[in-house]
Amino acid sequence: MAMMNDSRPHYPDYSTAGAVQHSFNPYADNGGSVVAIAGDDFAVIGADTRLSTGFAIYTRNQKKLFKLTDKTILGCAGCWCDTLTLTRILNARMQMYEQEHNKTMSTTACSQMLSTMLYYKRFFPYYISNVLVGLDTEGKGCVYSYDPIGHCERSTYRAGGSAGALLQPLLDNQVGFKNMQGDAFEKVTKERAIAILKDVFISAAERDIYTGDSIVINLITKDGITEETFPLRKD
Amino acid sequence: MATERYSFSLTTFSPSGKLVQIEYALAAVAAGAPSVGIKASNGVVIATENKHKSILYDEHSVHKVEMITKHIGMVYSGMGPDYRLLVKQARKMAQQYFIVYKEPIPTIQLVQRVAAVMQEYTQSGGVRPFGVSLLICGWDNDRPYLFQCDPSGAYFAWKSTAMGKNFINGKTFLEKRYNEELELDDAVHTAILTLKESFEGQMSADNIEVGICDSNGFKRLDPSHVKDYLANIS
Repeated sequence: MAMMNDSRPHYPDYSTAGAVQHSFNPYADNGGSVVAIAGDDFAVIGADTRLSTGFAIYTRNQKKLFKLTDKTILGCAGCWCDTLTLTRILNARMQMYEQEHNKTMSTTACSQMLSTMLYYKRFFPYYISNVLVGLDTEGKGCVYSYDPIGHCERSTYRAGGSAGALLQPLLDNQVGFKNMQGDAFEKVTKERAIAILKDVFISAAERDIYTGDSIVINLITKDGITEETFPLRKD
Repeated sequence: MATERYSFSLTTFSPSGKLVQIEYALAAVAAGAPSVGIKASNGVVIATENKHKSILYDEHSVHKVEMITKHIGMVYSGMGPDYRLLVKQARKMAQQYFIVYKEPIPTIQLVQRVAAVMQEYTQSGGVRPFGVSLLICGWDNDRPYLFQCDPSGAYFAWKSTAMGKNFINGKTFLEKRYNEELELDDAVHTAILTLKESFEGQMSADNIEVGICDSNGFKRLDPSHVKDYLANIS
């Protein structure tokens, strides 16, 4: 580097010998959690509405669920600026697909495309915990979860975001019936799935400071998408 | 570098509004070996003449009818080397599509991409148009597709068509013979008959190539299979 600029303020009591380091961190963690559950003929996804930075709250009222098609919804938690850009690019790609193919993109095609889009930024990743939810071509519910660089896995239920590690074991138990004694457990219906979703977020709001305020729940069935808002602790 | 000198396209308009290079490319196609494609109700057949100029040629080593994906096949009339390039690019594009969407590429999407490549070569610096017309057959959305791609980059959807030498006679023959309820077996029969119209000499399983595409995907027929169809003709 050439000469250091002379516009630096001169504080004789505070100056240090040698160079001063400045830095810029491109990432921000704006918090939030996303939970999704899939059934035989439905899929439901919920995300909290709090955006924060450190110990401060930006807003209590930001939806984190993005409708991609009538059958597919993406939930994003993590860096909000990356979320905005990713969803904009995703929407553009989906429009292009529709114009070229004369049909809407299937959930599975969407999930694969998102994976490749994330890997495209392998060396400057989107800092987002993505959960994609929808109905596949047979009408069955599916949940796809991603890591920041596009590793994709299909499952029946997933929790992502800041409270993800708190909620995933709870879902394993309540939706997957893991680690329980007993034989037959009834398949999770959409009413039970929504009830579990609400309980799970109430628990998250208790322990995770970044999750709270309220949740928005989107339910996808062959008849369309319904939305429900549910309040959470505001502290 | 020499390539810098050719930043201009060699395909330029004539006063009458034609792109003469493309006309010449079409002439190269019309001078090529005959090929034919027929869309049946339950599949598509593509076929071409594959005559060798001497008995010393090793038959069946190099093919004209090529698979692009499990459900799409291709054949051509015109210049073989140009065809090989397009086959390679088509295969790559099909795989790239699958990487992004995890779905087999719809036939029309592949055709559009291949045609876009062919168009590029009519408007880029220092290159000439491809001297081939392609017949692309595919099966998706539970139905058969047959497309032709020209050196200009234009593409057409056909029920049945012929290209290469004597293509006008071939098309006339098909116009009389084609009907919408044709089944794949009959379509193969008709395709071979169409080739026979312009065939000089004795047709055998060793000097024609046939490919079919149906709900089970694309397949090049092996010579013994072709022999069975030929037996039904004579």
